Amino acid sequence: MKLGKLLLVVAALLILFSLTARNFLTAENMLDLAEQISVNAILAFGMTFAIIIGGIDLSVGAVLAVVGTTTVFVLSRGNSTSQDPARLALSITAGLTVAAAFGLVNGLCAAKTAMPAFIVTLGTMLVARGMALRYNEARPIQVATHETAFLALGSGRVCGVPCPVIIMLGLFAVMGVLLHRTRFGQHLYAIGGNREAARFTGIPLARHEVVVYVLCGLTAGIAGIISTSRLYMAEPGAGEGFELNAIAAAVVGGTSFTGGVGTMFGTLIGAIIIGILDKGLNQSRVHFSWQYVVKGLVILAAVYMDVRGRERR
Amino acid sequence: MAQASGVDALVRLVGVTKHFGGVTALDGVDFDLRAGEVHALLGENGAGKSTLIRILAGVHVPDAGQVHIGGARVQVRSVAAASALGIRVIHQELSLAPNLTVAENIHLGREPARCGFIDRRRMAEDARTLVHDLGLDEIADVRRPVHRLSISHRQLVEIARALSREARVLILDEPTSALSGPETDALFATLSRLRERAVGIIYISHRLEEIQRIADRVTVLRDGRVIGTQAGGHLDERELVRWMIGRDANLADASSPAEGVASAGTPVLDVMGLSNVRLRDVSFSVSAGEVLGVAGLVGAGRSELARAVFGIDPVDAGEVRVCGHRIPARNPVASIRAGLVLVPEDRQRDGLVPRNSVGFNLALPWTREWNPDFRPNGRRRGEIIRRAVERLSIRVASPHASVLSLSGGNQQKVLVGRWLEHPPKALILDEPTRGVDVGAREDMLALIRSLTTEGMAVVLISSDLSEVLRLSHRVLLLREGRAIGIMPAEGASLEHVMAELTGVTSP
Repeated sequence: MKLGKLLLVVAALLILFSLTARNFLTAENMLDLAEQISVNAILAFGMTFAIIIGGIDLSVGAVLAVVGTTTVFVLSRGNSTSQDPARLALSITAGLTVAAAFGLVNGLCAAKTAMPAFIVTLGTMLVARGMALRYNEARPIQVATHETAFLALGSGRVCGVPCPVIIMLGLFAVMGVLLHRTRFGQHLYAIGGNREAARFTGIPLARHEVVVYVLCGLTAGIAGIISTSRLYMAEPGAGEGFELNAIAAAVVGGTSFTGGVGTMFGTLIGAIIIGILDKGLNQSRVHFSWQYVVKGLVILAAVYMDVRGRERR
Repeated sequence: MAQASGVDALVRLVGVTKHFGGVTALDGVDFDLRAGEVHALLGENGAGKSTLIRILAGVHVPDAGQVHIGGARVQVRSVAAASALGIRVIHQELSLAPNLTVAENIHLGREPARCGFIDRRRMAEDARTLVHDLGLDEIADVRRPVHRLSISHRQLVEIARALSREARVLILDEPTSALSGPETDALFATLSRLRERAVGIIYISHRLEEIQRIADRVTVLRDGRVIGTQAGGHLDERELVRWMIGRDANLADASSPAEGVASAGTPVLDVMGLSNVRLRDVSFSVSAGEVLGVAGLVGAGRSELARAVFGIDPVDAGEVRVCGHRIPARNPVASIRAGLVLVPEDRQRDGLVPRNSVGFNLALPWTREWNPDFRPNGRRRGEIIRRAVERLSIRVASPHASVLSLSGGNQQKVLVGRWLEHPPKALILDEPTRGVDVGAREDMLALIRSLTTEGMAVVLISSDLSEVLRLSHRVLLLREGRAIGIMPAEGASLEHVMAELTGVTSP
C-alpha cells in the first residue's frame, strides 16, 4: 500500500474512534497510545528487516521474555538496597547479549544451512521460552522498587514524552538510516528481490543474513527490557504472540512477504494502525472477541492490497 | 605449442578439467581468448560451455589445469576474485533484482557512498552517463523499477551493469535469445565498440547466422572436450553442426511446414476481438493441421496474446472458441478441458515443478487417470511417463532424476510431452526453441510437424523469424498489441515481414 493511503487509514481510524469512544483524541490519550505501540513497533522494525530479505523471525516474543528474566536476574544479584549503575549496565548488557546470541543462532542456521528461517526461529522460540521459564520456576521476578533508573526506562517521561516512545523513535531513525541510506540496506532489498542476482553480484549473503537476525534479536532484547520495566517485573510468559503482532504491523505497513519490498516508515504506520485499532476498539467497549476479528480482517485487507498492486504492475 | 598461442592471449586455459561427482563436465580443455576479439563458444547444452564460464567467473574451481589471465597464472576462487580480474559475465537467466531500479541494479554490490551512506543522486547520474555512453537509450529512465521493463530491456540493464566497471573479459551467455532483430543489431554495435577498446568477448549462442556476423573465431565443445576451432568470416556451418552433435544433420530438412492440410481444415481455435491492457482487438483462427506463426518484435504482445487466449491474463473484451464452443475467460482449467494448452515461454518460472522429478512433471496433468479415488496406480503412471519419454526421446537416465538435471532442450520436451498422453486439439507454443540446443531443436521442429499432420492446430510464437516462416502455414503479424495482418508464410520474405513489424513499410 502507498504511504499516502496508509496515512489516510490512520486519519480515518482516528476520526472514527473519536466518535465512538469518549476522550479519544486527547493529548494524554495519544501519548498513552504511543507508549502502548512502542514495544510492538520496535519488534516490527526488526521483523521488517527479516521479511525484506525473504525471512521471518518467530522467536522475538520468546526472546523478549528471556531477556526480561535475564536482566532482572542479574539486576537482583547482590544484596544492596540502593541502585548501582555498574550493575544496571551489567544487567542490560547481559540481556542484550542473550538477545544477540539468539539472533546469531537464528542467523547462522538460516544462512549456513538449508533450514528455512520459519522452522529455525520456531525452534529457537521454544528454546527461549523454556529458558525464560527456568529462571524462577516460571514465577515472575519482581524488580526492586529502589531500581528507579531501570524502572524509568519503561515508565519515565522526558519533557512529557514517555521513555519507551523516545527509544522507539530513536531506533526508528537508526534503523531507517540503516535500511534506506546504506549499502547494507540496499543489499537487503537485492537479496529479497532476487537471491541469485545478489549472489552473482558478489553480495555476501550469509553475512548480511546473520546481521539481519542479530538485529532482529537485539530489537527483541530492547523491547524485552522496556516491557519488563513497564511491568515492574520479568514475566516468563511475557511476549506470547508478540511476533505475530510485529508481523502484522510490518505487513499492514506494506512489507511484502515475497521479500524485497518494505520501508521503516511503512512499518511504523503499520504499528500505529494496529495500536489505534487495539486501543480504539477497547475504549469503544467492543467485546475483545470482536477485536480479534477486526484485526484479522485488517491484515487480510492489507495483504490483498499488496497482492493486487503486484498483479497490476 | 600452448606457449606460442599464449603470448598475446588475454585468457588462456590449459588442460582444464572439472568433475561433478562421477560426471566429467570438462576434460582437459585448452582455450584462449585474445584482447579485442569475439570468440564464440558453440556446443549443445551439456557440452561444458556453462562449466567453462563458471570457472572463469569464479563459481567453480577446476580440478586440474591452469587459468592464465593477461599472461599471469591465476586462481579464480570466488566471484569477487573474478570480478577483480575484470571478468564480467552476463548470464542467460537474467540476474537482476526486479524490485530495484535500473540505476540500483547497475550499481548493485558497489553502490556509491559518502560517509557510509548511499549517494543516490550520484548513483542515478553515473547510471545515466553510462547508459548514454553505451548508446542504450531504451533504459535512459534509470529510476524505473526493473520489473516494469521488458525482458530485452532488462538484458540491456545487465550489459550496462557488466560494463559499469573496467571490463577486460566480457562473457555473454545466449544474449540474443530474448532480443528481436533491431535489438540484436544494437547489441552487436555495442560489442563492436568494445572490441575496439580491446575487450575480449566470449560469446555463446546457438544461432549460427549470428555467429557468422560477429565472431572472429569459433570453438566447438562436445562432451567436455574441444572438438575444433574455426576462424570467423568464412565458417563451414555444416562442419560446425557436425562437430556439435557428432553426426550429420540435414539442415534443409527442417525447412518446410507439414504437407497438405492447411486452410482447408475446420477451424479449431477461434479468437475474436481479444483486448486487454496489452492487446487491442486481436482476431485469428487456426484450423486443424495448421501452424499459425505469430511474429512480432519484443514487446509487441506475443506472449501476452498467448496468456490471454489460454486464460492466464485478464481479458477486457473478446472471446475464445475451441471447436466452436466458447471458453470462459481467465480460466486455464476450462481451456485445458476444452482442449487448448499453452506451453509457456519461461520454463523455469511457469512450466516445471523444479524441485521434483522428470516423472512427476510428466505425469502431473493426468493425476485423475493414475490416481482416481486417492488410490495411486503406479503402473498407469509409469506408462504415461514412459510413453512421453519415448515419444519425445527425452534424454534422461531415470524418471526419478530431477527435472533440473535435464538440459534446456530436454526440459522443453518434458513441457510439451506431458500433454501428449491425450493430445489437445490446439497447442500454443511460446518460444519452444529458446535456449535449446541444435539436436533438441530439430526434434522439437519435427514434433511440431508430426503433431500437425495428426490434425492438431498449433500456434507457434518465436522470436526467430526465419523459424516462424519456415514452419508456419500462415503468419499473424503483431505490432504494439494489434494484429496488423495475417499472411501466408510461403513466399513471404524476412525483409518484408520485418518491415511490416517495425512499421517502416516502403511504398
